[in-house]
Amino acid sequence: MLVKKTKENRFIYVDPRRCLGCRNCELACATAYADCDLQTAVTKGLQLQPRNSVVQVDDMVMPIQCRQCEDAPCALACPTGAIYQEDGFVKINEGSCVGCKVCAMVCPFGAIIITQDINDNGNRRTKKAKARKCDLCFSRQDSDEVSCACVEACPTKAIMLVDYESYRKKIIEERGKELARAHSKTKVGWK
Amino acid sequence: MSNMKTSIDPAVNYLLPLAQKAGIETAWDRFEAMKPQCGFGELGICCRICWKGPCRIDPFGNGPQKGICGADADTIVARNLARMIAAGAAAHAEHGHHVALTLLEIGEGHALPYKIKEEKKLRNIAERLNLNPEGKDIKQVAKEVALASLEDFSRQKSSIPCNWAKETLTASRVEKLVELGVMPHNIHATIAEIMHRTHVGCDADAVNILLGGLKGALADYTGMYLSTELSDVLFGIPEPVVTAANLGVLKEDAVNIAVHGHNPLLSEIVCDLAIKMNEEAKKAGAKEGINIVGICCTGNEVMMRRGIPLATNYLSQELALVTGAVDAIVVDVQCIMPSLAALKECFHTEVITTMPGNKIPGATHLEFSEETALENAAKIIKLAIDAYKRRDRSKVNIPDYKETAIVGFSAEAVLAALSKVNPEDPLKPLIDNIVNGNILGIALFAGCNNLRVTQDHNFTTIAKELARNNVLMLATGCGAGAFAKHGLMTQEATEAYAGDSLKEVLTVIGEAAGLNGPLPLVLHMGSCVDNTRAVNLAVAVANKLGVDLDKLPVVASAPEAMAEKAVAIGTWAVTLGLPTHLGIVPQVIGSPLVTEVLTEKIKDLVGGYFMVETDPKKAAVKLVAAIKERREGLGI
Repeated sequence: MLVKKTKENRFIYVDPRRCLGCRNCELACATAYADCDLQTAVTKGLQLQPRNSVVQVDDMVMPIQCRQCEDAPCALACPTGAIYQEDGFVKINEGSCVGCKVCAMVCPFGAIIITQDINDNGNRRTKKAKARKCDLCFSRQDSDEVSCACVEACPTKAIMLVDYESYRKKIIEERGKELARAHSKTKVGWK
Repeated sequence: MSNMKTSIDPAVNYLLPLAQKAGIETAWDRFEAMKPQCGFGELGICCRICWKGPCRIDPFGNGPQKGICGADADTIVARNLARMIAAGAAAHAEHGHHVALTLLEIGEGHALPYKIKEEKKLRNIAERLNLNPEGKDIKQVAKEVALASLEDFSRQKSSIPCNWAKETLTASRVEKLVELGVMPHNIHATIAEIMHRTHVGCDADAVNILLGGLKGALADYTGMYLSTELSDVLFGIPEPVVTAANLGVLKEDAVNIAVHGHNPLLSEIVCDLAIKMNEEAKKAGAKEGINIVGICCTGNEVMMRRGIPLATNYLSQELALVTGAVDAIVVDVQCIMPSLAALKECFHTEVITTMPGNKIPGATHLEFSEETALENAAKIIKLAIDAYKRRDRSKVNIPDYKETAIVGFSAEAVLAALSKVNPEDPLKPLIDNIVNGNILGIALFAGCNNLRVTQDHNFTTIAKELARNNVLMLATGCGAGAFAKHGLMTQEATEAYAGDSLKEVLTVIGEAAGLNGPLPLVLHMGSCVDNTRAVNLAVAVANKLGVDLDKLPVVASAPEAMAEKAVAIGTWAVTLGLPTHLGIVPQVIGSPLVTEVLTEKIKDLVGGYFMVETDPKKAAVKLVAAIKERREGLGI
């Protein structure tokens, strides 16, 4: 049986050695999803909710966001089907989300945030909180070319959007080189 | 809160969990919430000087290497640093200016609540400033000294150095500083000059900007020096006095008034009046009457002049209120956390601001002026007594921690103690003991508390190491507060931690001075504005030996530095020739050039240099090594 080849999802890769914890990526993410610039959002008092979060562990700082898991636990667990795989993204349809937090519970990275939309006044029955997660800026893309707000905003280029296949190819080449070098050194020793 | 230890102060560790339980936020909580802090700011490579920015330089070389105007990391870092120095100098300048103006008022027969306490010192100052005081009426002398001091804020001729800088340093240091073009002629003008040259499109040469910074630091020095000396004239020269430190000095059955900030002009009057109004407090039910305690440097000022106990230092100021036993906290200028006013919501405490330029939303503002100081102080004490009546006893938690502290070692007091050993030549015993190695060298601890390190830990760790190595230690500001709180300003500390030869010297001097034992391990020289007291002593030693300050085995350390004032003080310490340790990584390392200049190259220019070491044990090793290097230079 022929299996149709599907491309693995792209994902955000962060080099923690280059991250300075300036949180520019958080601001860029929040404004991208609010669909306006920072000044407008602040003067209008709009809700800004980044889909990533810069965390500090000891001396290391880096943003954490959705890994675009292939076998995404959030998508598996979502009882309403709001989270799903499509076109190389783990997408979320906030309209179908009921804010049950199961996705937040199962995400191994803590990358899902459940927040209420303050512009969407809740009534007595519901607060209308929804799950929010990074979808590689899919929801704000005009063209097919993926470009992420956080990647564009990072002043030290610590954040990269990585295509899994090219990443793997690169890794394998590097590892291969290391192995080859190790063998050549062993040869010298035998002389 | 993270796993980092917050403080080694037992009172802090007692109160913080109580605050947390009650949902009261402190600086430690806000520090946690602030993490991660922006790395560009930490490295000093964020420029916010004009509105084209903010511009940020990528230290890894991937992103921008120049700001929009073309300023590179070196320029940006140097500008930011120079501006910090200018701000620090401005703070001390305002303080000194205020004291000098008060002295002028007295000289002119106004400012009735004040008087000249130290006539002899005033005449000495007049002599130092070449004002020929002999035979003149003391008010006339006061006026002339005040005007000569104020001249340092107004002189227009840039070739004439500030009086207070020129007359308080060694002749060779003055010559060197003039030659380098960093000798200030006018404190305010120097601060303005830094603000100008760091404006967009001005000085872009990092080294030149740094030289401007050195000049600003010397302006800071000048403002501080006159501030301390004139405060002594008005309020008295500190003399050794036994008192106590830490929050255990608050009393359950007293109206507790905390004086906090930096300027002694109002706090001194509050202290005077508190004695007179004691009965009123007792009538309100406070069995022990009024209990004044100090916080930060206003605390240091009243502690060393009056023996008033020190409640705590900078970082734990909020916790004084968390005890629920402070009825009023009177704040003037600098290092006052605005959060105090919010804490007031949880307790009955009156938070009272007193300076027109230093208000806090939520606090009671009671504006102070020299003419009305007595009425201002009376109102403050009344507010405190009223607050005491509202005190909720169920919320009172005074930690049972306090340590004895012997404080008040002004340069005059140190010389007085030394003259008990050798009346003809008081400096001789000190110099002899340095030469023969009984005292390896002298270290001056200054500066603040900083949340980036465990409170007071760096101070006490370094001090114990230096003591073991027979280094004589002086301290000011919140460093002095740390030592006082942890019992290192006691005779017992000398017995416990001093090396044998240091112990012997301190004992000889202490016994001669009638202390029935050694001098304390660390000598309390005053508030942070009083660092010049140490320079006073060092210059006397240098002149006696016929060398400049950069040859002396004297070092400085600011292990928990935080304020812009500390940046200015550290920079003048270096400019005067001292190896100066910082226990906090300064926000300059985004520029390799500026870092190199401050830690190495500057040594060739002025003799002093910065040493950055965040590990207190290693810092002690470096400080000892710097002292030994100086000793070798002197051939001793």
